Amino acid sequence: MQVKLRVFRFDPEKDQKPRYDTFIMNVDPNDRVLDLLEYVKADFDPSLALRRSCAHGVCGSDAMRVNGRNYLACKVLVKNLNADTITVEPLLGLRVIKDLIVDMGPFFENYRSVLPYLINDEPLPADGKERLQTPEQQMRFEETTKCILCAACTTSCPSFWADDRYVGPAAIVNAHRFIFDSRDRGAEKRLNILNEQIGVWRCRTAFNCTEACPRDIHITQAIAEVKKAIITGKVE
Amino acid sequence: MTTTTRPVKVKRTFEQTAWLWMRYSAFLLIPLAWGHMILQDVVVGVHNINADYAIQRIANLGWKIYDIFLLGFAFAHGMNGVRQVLRDYIRNPQTFQVVSIILLVVWFVITMMGAIALLAINQPLGG
Repeated sequence: MQVKLRVFRFDPEKDQKPRYDTFIMNVDPNDRVLDLLEYVKADFDPSLALRRSCAHGVCGSDAMRVNGRNYLACKVLVKNLNADTITVEPLLGLRVIKDLIVDMGPFFENYRSVLPYLINDEPLPADGKERLQTPEQQMRFEETTKCILCAACTTSCPSFWADDRYVGPAAIVNAHRFIFDSRDRGAEKRLNILNEQIGVWRCRTAFNCTEACPRDIHITQAIAEVKKAIITGKVE
Repeated sequence: MTTTTRPVKVKRTFEQTAWLWMRYSAFLLIPLAWGHMILQDVVVGVHNINADYAIQRIANLGWKIYDIFLLGFAFAHGMNGVRQVLRDYIRNPQTFQVVSIILLVVWFVITMMGAIALLAINQPLGG
């Protein structure tokens, strides 16, 4: 099938303003958008800049806007877009470094602010090995362990577009992963951070994050669980 | 026990209170706004509402209180919404705090004016 691929191009060192390059190409309906971008790089313009690594939906490098929605370019097939014209743009809400590459700095700064690591200063169990938990205790936060930090959720969030100091859905998901871990002892710290003006209360339940997540994490639900823990003072 | 419940100490913040207020006021607005709409638009009927009817209705203390509650909660809910919208445009926390206080004062003054007006009407027209 033939598609018209429109790609956002911007080099802040040369360009005054962004432009869209258009490529007419014959593609297989089962091609991924990443494949199309690779064809562009190989056959038309090697200067096109984009991030990609594993190309199999695991590393989270190639999150971008395709026809106005956030996807991993390696996970979305041409046939599933149901469109003859495919517009590829960088993620919203983060500064464009070049073409499809954005500055992930603010995103990771927000991620770090919620202490996304296990906090437990208690002595190790008698055998000096692992802190055990039951399968049920593990299932409590299993959902939020699936996050690959691709930023598709955070950059689809209107509150984040308005103010990049809002921690954003991805940071809350990663806080959730440790808050509800029975082995962790840092929940109080994290919940107090998320209770601030830049925390969970900036979420307006737009559900954009849940829709954008390539890992199908129920993000809005995770955020609601964090809100509930703050209000009730109980981590259940 | 398979899952654990852990108590946590989280201090109350203004943002948390504002968020909760949005939910509580919305919850109260369901009976208040629906009651008002059903009475005015269905039971009485839009075409039968005139000055005499309105004055007669709010001459009743129960309706006065109902209408003051409706005004107060609907307006507070709306003002909190405006506050949330403005939050997207005001980046400075101090400026935002000042704006929040101004909105609170506006809410209080307008609600008081409405309440005084409602309480001042005590008899049907020509009575």
